[in-house]
Amino acid sequence: MSQPHRLPTGGHIDRATRLAFTFDGRRYEGHPGDTLASALLANGVRLVGRSFKYHRPRGIFSAGVEEPNALVELREGARREPNTRATVIELFDGLVAQSQNRRGSLAFDWMAAAGLLAPWLGAGFYYKTFMWPAAWWERVYEPMIRRAAGLGRASGLPDPDRYEAAHAHCDVLVVGAGAAGLAAARAAGAAGARVILAEQDALPGGDLLNEPALEGWRRAALAALDAMPEVTVMPRTTVFGFYDHGVLGAVERVSDHLPEPPPHLPRQRAWTIRAREVVLATGAHERLIAFPGNDRPGVMLAGAARGYARRHGVRAGEAAVLFATHDGAYEAAHAMAEAGARIVAIVDPRQDSAAMQRAREAGFDVRAGSEVCGTVGHAALRGVSVRRVGAAGRGDAFAADLLMVSGGWNPAVHLASMSGAPLVWDEALLAFIPGAPVQRERSAGACRGVHGIAAAAADGAAAGRAAAEAAGFAASPSFALPEAPAADCRPFALWEVKGRGKAFVDLQDDVTAADMRLAHREGFSHIEHAKRYTTHAMGTDQGKSGGIVGAAVLAEARGEPVARVGLPRFRPYTAPIAWGAMAGEGVGRHFQPTRRTALHAVHDALGAVWLDAGIWKRPAYYPRKEDADAWASVLREARAVRERVGICDVSTLGKILVEGPDAATFLDRIYANTFSTLPVGRARYGLMLREDGIVFDDGTTSRIGPESWFVTTTTAQAGPVMQHLEFHLASAWPELDVSLASVTDQWAAIAIAGPRAREVVAGFVQGIDLSNEAFPFMAVADCTAAGVPARLFRISFSGELAYEIAMPAGYATHVWQAAMAAGAAHGIEPYGMEALGLLRIEKGHVAGPELNGQTTAQDLGLGRMLKKKGDFIGRVLAQRPGLTDPSRPRLVGLRSVDPSRQIRAGSHLLLPDGKGRSEGWITSATRSVVEPGWIGLGLLREGEARMGSEVIAANPLMGEEVRMRVVSPHMHDPENIRVRA
Amino acid sequence: MSAPEPTHPLAACATPGRHGAPGDAPLRVTLPRRDMVQVMARRGREDALAEAARAAFGLALPPAGQAAAAPDATAVWIQPGHWLFAAPRGMEGALAARAAAAFAGLAAVADQSHGRTTIAVSGPAARRVLARGCRLDLHPRAFGPGRAAATQIAHVGCLIHQTDEAPVFELTVFATLAEPFFHWLMEAGAQDGVLIE
Repeated sequence: MSQPHRLPTGGHIDRATRLAFTFDGRRYEGHPGDTLASALLANGVRLVGRSFKYHRPRGIFSAGVEEPNALVELREGARREPNTRATVIELFDGLVAQSQNRRGSLAFDWMAAAGLLAPWLGAGFYYKTFMWPAAWWERVYEPMIRRAAGLGRASGLPDPDRYEAAHAHCDVLVVGAGAAGLAAARAAGAAGARVILAEQDALPGGDLLNEPALEGWRRAALAALDAMPEVTVMPRTTVFGFYDHGVLGAVERVSDHLPEPPPHLPRQRAWTIRAREVVLATGAHERLIAFPGNDRPGVMLAGAARGYARRHGVRAGEAAVLFATHDGAYEAAHAMAEAGARIVAIVDPRQDSAAMQRAREAGFDVRAGSEVCGTVGHAALRGVSVRRVGAAGRGDAFAADLLMVSGGWNPAVHLASMSGAPLVWDEALLAFIPGAPVQRERSAGACRGVHGIAAAAADGAAAGRAAAEAAGFAASPSFALPEAPAADCRPFALWEVKGRGKAFVDLQDDVTAADMRLAHREGFSHIEHAKRYTTHAMGTDQGKSGGIVGAAVLAEARGEPVARVGLPRFRPYTAPIAWGAMAGEGVGRHFQPTRRTALHAVHDALGAVWLDAGIWKRPAYYPRKEDADAWASVLREARAVRERVGICDVSTLGKILVEGPDAATFLDRIYANTFSTLPVGRARYGLMLREDGIVFDDGTTSRIGPESWFVTTTTAQAGPVMQHLEFHLASAWPELDVSLASVTDQWAAIAIAGPRAREVVAGFVQGIDLSNEAFPFMAVADCTAAGVPARLFRISFSGELAYEIAMPAGYATHVWQAAMAAGAAHGIEPYGMEALGLLRIEKGHVAGPELNGQTTAQDLGLGRMLKKKGDFIGRVLAQRPGLTDPSRPRLVGLRSVDPSRQIRAGSHLLLPDGKGRSEGWITSATRSVVEPGWIGLGLLREGEARMGSEVIAANPLMGEEVRMRVVSPHMHDPENIRVRA
Repeated sequence: MSAPEPTHPLAACATPGRHGAPGDAPLRVTLPRRDMVQVMARRGREDALAEAARAAFGLALPPAGQAAAAPDATAVWIQPGHWLFAAPRGMEGALAARAAAAFAGLAAVADQSHGRTTIAVSGPAARRVLARGCRLDLHPRAFGPGRAAATQIAHVGCLIHQTDEAPVFELTVFATLAEPFFHWLMEAGAQDGVLIE
């Protein structure tokens, strides 16, 4: 096929280059400058889709984002994208598209039988029809309806393309590069403002692209903008939302016009634009008229037909009828006549106008005082019925294959409305236009009802100048504005032509004027309710063409003016946006950052199995070939600690330097126990409460100088504790002279634990007498470790003789290797988080599962730590009866009676005879290396009184019940002999 | 045993050479080795601290959003009463010791030489690449040499300090988050090309 409807000349089409594409498997050709829609029309393809509900044949209706019908599946494989509008897809060589929402072929869609059921498929039919049996809704009716109604298919495969976010700042953002937008950007740019001009189309110009006589002005404007270094023109960029404080969202389609993104380039870029002033020059969408059969392929918005002829060099029909209610649409008839089409008739409900006279002079058959009351044809328009306005009957028939419709213009007020500006009814234009701005924005041109290129350009220039001035720039020199005749766009109020047949107010969602009346009868009379009841304006086009028409039908039913009915609230997005663009680069490894300790490479070399601890990567265990399973590794590592010596990376603990004359006072208030009595060179276990008396965090804190403290936190709470400290210092006690610095990243830390820890540490640490007398449990001192400055702590989480060595992070690998070398003779083994957890459960140390934001110090057996004298955070609210209730679950140890029976954290604790009632639960569970069998920590009501008795650990999810003995949580070395050895 | 050179937090991922798209004007990336200390003024001693900073480092403590440079050190304002002092890498702990001695009684000093790392980016692509993650306006009219700001880029806290009009931006991040930050930078810069020096 050789594009039989392509004009020989004219438009923004590069006829020298041919682009091959396929639609529904058939091969066609088009040219650069085409959209998929214009190329299809050039090839005579009229039928492009099936409607949402009734599966009626549909053709190309518009030439832009408002397209309700021509939704296609674009591309193949993983790049297949459903519901793309053929009217905005730039043609590229090799493009593959398919029609959607059909069974069988597009021409014979057997789902079209739904049309026969139409009388029973009105708005909300599924709420009423598929009521019985109720259980069928989810399993039968809903899947059936979803299959029948609908849009395209997603690929179901991972998106192969990259997306990225980007941020832009400007003094003046101009949205839309039509005559108004170009003039606004030029005026603001000439004033010296930083300007961004965003245009959704690939070509800036808007309606100028349909005016060959003004091409010179368009090019001059673009050249002028190009010469301004602070002006950025962004084509293919849809501004989709206007948020608070001058923040707007936009998506730039970087590579959508290409078969696939070039190397290193994203497919799309999501911009967050922060603008001091905004000029909205978003234009207007042409309004449909609801008349019977207004959805037939061949019925098209008048401006679209004009655009296909003038911009794309395509004749959308051979015999055309224009049905218009205002002068602004008449240019379509002239454009089609120039393109070689026969103008069969012009149907206008008005009696006379300037454009009607001109049309008569051009020899067109102008039917004044008339309306289109029906269409003939099936998969393509064959004829149009015309009658006197309001007359009964089927009217006179005209043979035509193109019916151009215009019921007026709907100003694109979406962004203005989102910015908070009210919408104001303009009785002359029968349209809502933006009211007084709430944010620093102004509208210019057709989006505020100023029609005609000359008027819009003048309006845009004034808006651009005013915006620049508001942003602090002096008035700019003026420049030539285009001159063009203006047409009167005030329409005759004809929203609907009543008659037999479906008159659609929403083509995409198959919503008819009758559906709007039904909504009113059913009580859904508010526009927001009617929208949801009928799905009016809920498609991808969001009612850009017919939303106001539906509102007008509803208004008539309510007996109220359209102004009072209003439009549904505009919300982002102004046009469909690929969700990938919103995710940006935040997928895969960029979903959240991965935090690595300085020893990451060391663990990797040891073959560590990784565990995610928040955003940290920590070694779970280090499997060896001889280990039968993960448990074998974990038990081996834990045994090494209990019997010899182990080494563990504890760098993830939060570390905070607290320094100043009032640091001790500060810590006394922050911690529930006392720190001011701690001598320099000693560490103490500390417990922090939240203000509500619940335990917040724990850790060891050391006094490293008279006014200098080294606070450690759990890994999970490092950030929150730092915030907590900063907040109280800044707001509660600003009089305290204390400084805080997070030093978590500065210091790496290694634990060396086990009976032989002292010998190992002695092998690589210098400058400290490690004897028990000189460096006892809870001692702290600076030292040299393998030649680098370090700090040694004698603290233990495992319950063994243990040390922690902190060193500047860049030396961590060096020190680790020195420790491994020193420990080789002692059988040192690295141990991971699993073994660490096992060891601390045996020892009865609480950790995250016990510090769960619901437990008190008493619950955890730490009640005696709360100081009696002096205030501290959480003291008062910890006294609440609910928190001091002696019957609250208390921390206990648990040991399985049958050592082979596994227990699981989360299991509930039942009394052997007390059927059903939970007395508590297991918080942490593990296998023990001290005594064979499973042990755990748990919170058990009257836990202390139940020491020695049996409980049942019930896990209904796994169908398990395990007999457990309640024991002290300190299952290993309760006298602390080993840690003090 | 003498102290070895510390391992750079980006040792595993910053491979010198060209990355991403070819082109004449790649994003230039360098990893200057710096010592850094966080200097935290005692209550009410900021004036005396400023005086001590002038005497010991030859620089005026900068106000919010700014940095000050002396031949052998820079100071960047990072939060009320806090500055990050930086100097070329020297003996381990030397900068902290120098600051602690100079500011005794006037400020607390925390060595951050290992806790932070600096990535310097420069070239005509620098602003464009940073805009893919940085919300701040780095346009010459809004930012410039001597300006500094703390922000988040790719979920990572980042101190941006513009050191030259060229432009050169120094990005200082937490050492344990430097890798994901660097991965983001490489991906954001790929379309312009990246030259790691």
